[in-house]
Amino acid sequence: MESEPLTLHSRKSLNLRYNVPISKTSRFWDGLKEGKFVTTKCKSCGEVSFPPQADCPKCMSGEAEWVDMGTDGELLTFTYVQVTPTSFVESDPYTVAVCRLPGGQKVLAWTEGLTREQLKVGMKLRLEARTRSEGSPYYVFVLR
Amino acid sequence: MTGVAIVGIGHSKFGRRNDVSIAELAFESIHGAVEDAGIDKKQIQNVTVGSVGGWYEENVPATVVNEYAGLERVGSMRVEAACASGSAAVKNAYLSIASGEADIAMAVGLEKMTEVDTLTAVELMGRGGSYLWEFENFGMTFASYYAMFAVAHMNRFGTTEEDLARVAVKAHHYGSMNPLAQFQKEITIEKALSSQVVSWPLKLYDASPISDGSAAVILASEDTARKLTDTPIWIRSIGASSDSADMSRRDSYVGLGAAVDASRKAYSAAKIGPEMVDVANVHDCFTIAELMAYEDLGFCAKGEGAKLLRDGQTMIGGKIPVNLDGGLKAKGHPVGASGVSMMVEISKQLRGEAGKRQAPIKNGIGLVHNVGGTGHYCYVTVLSRKR
Repeated sequence: MESEPLTLHSRKSLNLRYNVPISKTSRFWDGLKEGKFVTTKCKSCGEVSFPPQADCPKCMSGEAEWVDMGTDGELLTFTYVQVTPTSFVESDPYTVAVCRLPGGQKVLAWTEGLTREQLKVGMKLRLEARTRSEGSPYYVFVLR
Repeated sequence: MTGVAIVGIGHSKFGRRNDVSIAELAFESIHGAVEDAGIDKKQIQNVTVGSVGGWYEENVPATVVNEYAGLERVGSMRVEAACASGSAAVKNAYLSIASGEADIAMAVGLEKMTEVDTLTAVELMGRGGSYLWEFENFGMTFASYYAMFAVAHMNRFGTTEEDLARVAVKAHHYGSMNPLAQFQKEITIEKALSSQVVSWPLKLYDASPISDGSAAVILASEDTARKLTDTPIWIRSIGASSDSADMSRRDSYVGLGAAVDASRKAYSAAKIGPEMVDVANVHDCFTIAELMAYEDLGFCAKGEGAKLLRDGQTMIGGKIPVNLDGGLKAKGHPVGASGVSMMVEISKQLRGEAGKRQAPIKNGIGLVHNVGGTGHYCYVTVLSRKR
């Protein structure tokens, strides 16, 4: 049998964690804590964006207001993630969906309480806020 | 403006290449391309390295590549366009000649993804979307993104898991004839269908592998190209386009808007239509991506990709043979190298040097469709025997 080529296992390891700025979209994350889903609407041209962003991608205005985007979603597509990346190895396999909300915005999130077999394109789901044990907010789709 | 032609091609063996360092791996294709072009390496004025990086130890790869190969005092940079980095490197080399800056330039596609463990590579690719909204809370992987396209395509057009498996069977069929491919074995539909689910409905055999490899092309201006070779392969046009980072902002999940736009630009600039293309390499990072590519490129109508494949139209003897080198699926997908590897394959096809997997060449036109990320970037390059 051919022997494995010789490699040097680097002694230096690097554990990368980033400080991701969220101050300009903090209203979204604060809203989640109250179970609300808000996003940005451009005061100049009226464009509603999701994910929320302080600067309008359509007209480049920096004047945005926060609007309620509702929670009723229609399932556009989904997948069941069985091989999960390193930082999710502790998680059970999960199902991720993209749904369209009443205003036309689309949201990607895990589904909760539904098996892959139960999911059908076109079905009606609802966004719900969740809080992780360490306190950070996130959101999921559940059956409407 | 001067014409720009590919005058030299080089390609390493793709696969798990822990027998070589990143610079040694790049040298394999650089050396091949220099020999093929019949030039002295000192004639190369510009070197662009396409590589994503992060999975190998060098952070500034173009410099170690140039140093190892003795490429001195060249204009150089590394470019990144995710899995389309190779095509982006070719575009930069092309522009350096078209602008008059250089007479001979080289594009090197390079990746070494197996120096980290598999799930770390999966993570680094999964982070290739909009991090905060797709990865931080939801752990998307590359297979997951393409699985979402597959679910939408299956739902809308009746494409089946068996159709997807057929793409893999075709890839492995041609891969078995390519001595540089990572996988050189035929597979069956049954074997593909029974492989492990990675991200439903995509299975292990729907996915291109994690790979190491390099490929290089040497480009020259019109006058120099004609002096160097009797078979210059002209770059007739490069169409480039983009789409949102975040999947939730896409208009559709049954195709890639960037690919439709890039191909229109490329066809228009080359003054051709899809029916003129004799042979193509398309970006089959997952099986569903190949079917969507047929449709996005206009090889068939939207929704008819699976039928085109089932009818054998994308094999040798069909209307438009696709991925005769095994594609990313069987040849391997060292992401930064893939675009350049596709240029190497289409150059071989147009030169008539592809051996038993040679496509019939009628119009002398080949096409490279190279997607970065989940359609974040797309480059469509039209290559031709005629200027």
